[in-house]
Amino acid sequence: MLNGLEAAFFYLFAFIAVASAFMVISARNPVHSVLYLILTFFNAAGLFLLTGAEFLAMILLVVYVGAVAVLFLFVVMMLDVDFAELKSGALQYAPIGALVGLILAAELIVVTGGYAFAPQLATAVAKPTPDIATRTNTAALGDILYTDYIFYFQVAGLILLVAMIGAIVLTLRHKEGVKRQSISAQVARTPETGMEIKKVETGKGI
Amino acid sequence: MTPELYSSLSLALPELIIAGGALVLLMIGVYSGERANSTVTGLAVAILIGAGAWMLLFGGTGKAFGNVFVSDPFAVFMKVLMLIGSAVTLVMSVGFAKAEKFDKFEYPVLILLSTVGMMLMISANDMITLYLGLELQSLALYVVAAINRDSVRSTEAGLKYFVLGALSSGMLLYGISLVYGYTGHTGFDAIAATLSGADRQLGLVFGLVFVLAGVAFKISAVPFHMWTPDVYEGAPTPVTAFFASAPKMAAMALMVRITMTAFEPIAADWQQIVVFISIASMVLGSFAAIGQKNIKRLMAYSSIGHVGFALVGLAANTETGVRGVAIYMLIYLVMTLGTFAFILAMRRKDGNVEQISDLAGLSTTNPMMATILTILMFSLAGIPPLAGFWAKWYVFLAAINANLYALAIIGVLASVVGAYYYLRIIKIMWFDEPVGGFLPMAGELRLVLGASGAFVLFYVFFGGPVGRVAEAAAKTFF
Amino acid sequence: MYQAIVFLPLLGFLIVGLFGTSLGAKASEYITSGFLVIAAILSWVAFFQVGFGESEVFTVPVLRFIDSGSLQADWALRIDTLTVVMLVVVNTVSALVHIYSIGYMHHDPHRPRFFAYLSLFTFAMLMLVTADNLVQMFFGWEGVGLASYLLIGFWYKKPSANAAAIKAFVVNRVGDFGFILGIFGVFVLFGSVSFDAIFATAASYAPVEGAHEATAAVFNFLGYELDRGAALTVICLLLFMGAMGKSAQVPLHTWLPDAMEGPTPVSALIHAATMVTAGVFMLARLSPIFELSHTALTVVTFIGALTAFFAATVGLVQNDIKRVIAYSTCSQLGYMFVALGMGFYSAAIFHLFTHAFFKALLFLGSGSVIHAVSDEQDMRKMGGLRKLIPTTYWMMVIGTLALTGVGIPATIIGTAGFFSKDAIIEGSFVGHNPAAGFAFIALVIAAVFTSFYSWRLIFMTFHGKPRATADVMHHVHESPPVMLVPLFILAVGALFAGVIFHDAFIGEGYSEFWKAALYILPENHILHDFHGVPVWVKLAPFAAMILGFGVAYQFYIRSPETPKYLASQHRGLYAFLLNKWYFDELYDFLFVRPAKRLGTFLWKTGDGAVIDGLGPDGISARVVDVTNRVVKLQTGYLYHYAFVMLIGVAALVTWMMLGSTF
Repeated sequence: MLNGLEAAFFYLFAFIAVASAFMVISARNPVHSVLYLILTFFNAAGLFLLTGAEFLAMILLVVYVGAVAVLFLFVVMMLDVDFAELKSGALQYAPIGALVGLILAAELIVVTGGYAFAPQLATAVAKPTPDIATRTNTAALGDILYTDYIFYFQVAGLILLVAMIGAIVLTLRHKEGVKRQSISAQVARTPETGMEIKKVETGKGI
Repeated sequence: MTPELYSSLSLALPELIIAGGALVLLMIGVYSGERANSTVTGLAVAILIGAGAWMLLFGGTGKAFGNVFVSDPFAVFMKVLMLIGSAVTLVMSVGFAKAEKFDKFEYPVLILLSTVGMMLMISANDMITLYLGLELQSLALYVVAAINRDSVRSTEAGLKYFVLGALSSGMLLYGISLVYGYTGHTGFDAIAATLSGADRQLGLVFGLVFVLAGVAFKISAVPFHMWTPDVYEGAPTPVTAFFASAPKMAAMALMVRITMTAFEPIAADWQQIVVFISIASMVLGSFAAIGQKNIKRLMAYSSIGHVGFALVGLAANTETGVRGVAIYMLIYLVMTLGTFAFILAMRRKDGNVEQISDLAGLSTTNPMMATILTILMFSLAGIPPLAGFWAKWYVFLAAINANLYALAIIGVLASVVGAYYYLRIIKIMWFDEPVGGFLPMAGELRLVLGASGAFVLFYVFFGGPVGRVAEAAAKTFF
Repeated sequence: MYQAIVFLPLLGFLIVGLFGTSLGAKASEYITSGFLVIAAILSWVAFFQVGFGESEVFTVPVLRFIDSGSLQADWALRIDTLTVVMLVVVNTVSALVHIYSIGYMHHDPHRPRFFAYLSLFTFAMLMLVTADNLVQMFFGWEGVGLASYLLIGFWYKKPSANAAAIKAFVVNRVGDFGFILGIFGVFVLFGSVSFDAIFATAASYAPVEGAHEATAAVFNFLGYELDRGAALTVICLLLFMGAMGKSAQVPLHTWLPDAMEGPTPVSALIHAATMVTAGVFMLARLSPIFELSHTALTVVTFIGALTAFFAATVGLVQNDIKRVIAYSTCSQLGYMFVALGMGFYSAAIFHLFTHAFFKALLFLGSGSVIHAVSDEQDMRKMGGLRKLIPTTYWMMVIGTLALTGVGIPATIIGTAGFFSKDAIIEGSFVGHNPAAGFAFIALVIAAVFTSFYSWRLIFMTFHGKPRATADVMHHVHESPPVMLVPLFILAVGALFAGVIFHDAFIGEGYSEFWKAALYILPENHILHDFHGVPVWVKLAPFAAMILGFGVAYQFYIRSPETPKYLASQHRGLYAFLLNKWYFDELYDFLFVRPAKRLGTFLWKTGDGAVIDGLGPDGISARVVDVTNRVVKLQTGYLYHYAFVMLIGVAALVTWMMLGSTF
């Protein structure tokens, strides 16, 4: 169990993560939403750090904050979407949604509060990551990622492949009449193909 | 390590064949350009058949990759059904692709990758395998639903499916995390072992609810069905045919597997949930279909209803029940493929039509099509001695044996209400004024429709052996 | 050979029924008629082989039919003298009617259907007469009923034809109800429906005096415990009820006159020669049972005599040429039942045999007349046709001579009716049952009436001044040979069938001819007794015939005003007879209108308001309501869908939580 300073930081990160996640969906300005999302990612990275998973924390920042969220930001800024209008229909049902959410939340709190987690869970958590002094985080991940979890790893790879194919299929359009750069053609050019020498007689144009 | 990996790979070889094949086909498609569609489709079908044949001929049983992947008779049975669904829908898409400018080589590749995902779902013996398989499958489905990107309906269908699918994935993950929290395991066997020794924990039951909700979304059981009619209607017809056949097999197999292995010790809990969604699906499927005018939308509600009927067998939690589910899914698959072959053949000179009113007077304009569709509709309605009747018979029999009388009675009543809209199609075909016939059917559609009709009509003669195979599959869990 | 006799008509029916329209009318006619002619010839061969040969009763198995517990009914052809007599009657008349119809139906566009029905009828009738058990007989029984329905309603665009067809079917249903109850009773009592088994056990039910097992209750009918004798009587009466329906006996006779709405060849085949005699055949076939029940035979005699008298009286005043003959048929069937009631089965069958010839002749002759006068059936609009259609005239005269039984008493010179009808009248005089005296008087009076209305028909149709319009008279023409040849053949039968066969049927050759086909009790001596009646009895039918002829001659040739005068003098009696003793009105009042009222009540209130309102209509209306609501849920908005999912999860979670606490 956590205690002391560690506990204080855990609750800080956790609280800010939940609060900013709530702001993501409630912010009126979409740009603000994305910014809150980035804040959430940061806090999640902080939580990773607390458990000693430094590699994951950094990856989260690099990939999600550095790439995904920023991409989101660009997209949101470039698209002129009136989110308020889109939300107006949904807001009509906000009371019911809130009610359902409240009921669910209340039930979950009652249940999880009154029951014990599995005792063996403590032992499972007890060996999260090897000591950084003996084995680096990255190496430790690699140790199991390509052995015990090779199956999952490959399937995850397939999923990413599908995502890639999907993105291309749904968005890539071949436009007619676009002049593309052909590097091989450029490299393969020789003076013979690139130039034509003509003798120009005086007094006449070409 | 090495011998374990070797045996693991050999168990998962069909999946590997298909995944590898998909990569190769992707390359072929990319390098031979737009005209490669029919070649790629043909090869994809060959790969699916090859994988299925290998599985039937040489496939062993056992567990692989450290107990996260399992191959057993039930998995083989459902995988074969699922492969048939994938292969046949691919075959059926060829003509449509040409006619509707829908000839993207990515389509067969995505279907193959989705098929890999579904095979993993069927073979899942661990929550993580389950989730990965499900996501692989779903992601490909989201894309193919929207693949006709110039059509507003198709993109809307894809987007709706994607958003709701993400929501259901979230629920599933949440449930998995709860289950992990209460048992400390993600493997099905380990979860079952932990549960059988412990008292019933309400938090775990919550996890169960969320997990089942996530899977129920995939089989489009009520109340997680809302996407189905819109997506079925909006997606291109071959895609709808695929949605209605293969993923249903996989998700139903998954449903059976997690309830029969991981959550077996708390059967009393999940039985209640299954009974609830079963009744809700049967009733809603029957009632809502009555008001439909679009035949694809009608088939969406029909599939919701049929999933409800199949779940009746699962609710019994017996060997006969699981056998009933297996037989039901087999017969449902055949009937669905036949019906979609028909829907794909609803072509006039100015393109495909989808309205039920377009069928008017088909018995005079195209009697053979009308006759076979009539047989299929009678079977879907559950009229003896056609296959659809036996499907319902086995699941209701299991429910009665398990003393679930209320469920069986509601099921029978729902099937009576449901019979109405199937019979209405028949009535429109045979008794309404003709509105003009369809173009001649393509050879492959003719073949599928004919085979489906013959299966349904003559099922009563070979139902015995089929029942024994299904029984062997069901024995896996008992 | 027997298979061929029975199944050739079926083959004809199947070919023409299924492919008739594509084969065309000509081919249809030739196929069915050809098959029937072959069957008829084979029937005559069989008749001489069985009737005048050595062979005993034998069966030709066809198929296994029903085998359920102790109920076994195979499909087999039972061949004995009774069967072959019927085969001859059915196939001969049917073949002639087929041929005749080629001419008669010449203008009808639906000839293939007509000929298919005729062949179907013939097949069903053959099934009936060759039956080896009661179930098979019932099959044939219903088959002829069906064919009769189809043929009466052949001109289905005529409302009256439809009404007549339905009436025939419904009235027969009353009789069939009795028949099938009788079959059930037989099965309960004898444990079998096979004739051989029934006849073998029936002997033990003979009314042996004093045996106390006979008083033990064996049968419970309507709450009454019946001993063997009573049980047998009940069964016989139930079976007779079936016969009454089919053979148009009072009070189930009302359908027969209406059945004349059908084409005339149909009337000749079904409603004169074959189907209506099915009841007579059934009683003769079951003679081993009926012979044991004295009560039942008395009832049969009484009903028969009543019908003979009743129908003859009604026949006196009818004006429709076919209806006169129809009532005559009804009356003659009454004669046959009287003979059956006396235990004089052979005479009944003999009369059936001869009657088939002369009644078919009369019907086909009247068809020829109707054909000649442009489909007019009312005799008041005929007259004077003798010169114009002489062949038909002479054929009708021959038929009338045979029907009235012209012959010289105490010799063997006479027409067919002379032998068979007189034998019945004489038999009724010597019969030993309580109704015999009544029967004798009724039959003699009926004979007078028979003679009167038969000659009245001839005189009104062929003699006197033409009463038809000049236009009709101008078109009167003799029928084509295809219609006349059957008349000639039947005329030969009507004239000579009696002379040739009376010895075999009811005379010295009785036992060699019938062998074991008919059963009579040892103490039944009617076969011997009827030869020894007093001379006045022998002369009575002759006198009746002469009297009837004389009166008819007086009324319709010498002073045609007399009938009108009589009718106006006895207006009540005339109306009573003209309206057929008000049977139809009585039934209408007793059964039809109450049934309609009840039906309307059940339809409007019971079915429409209660069952439909609360049942199908109500439920379907609710289903549509539910559907509309469910469909409304499918708004197309994503957040609605997400809500439904969330609410579903919330509901399930709540349920699981509350379910575990309570």
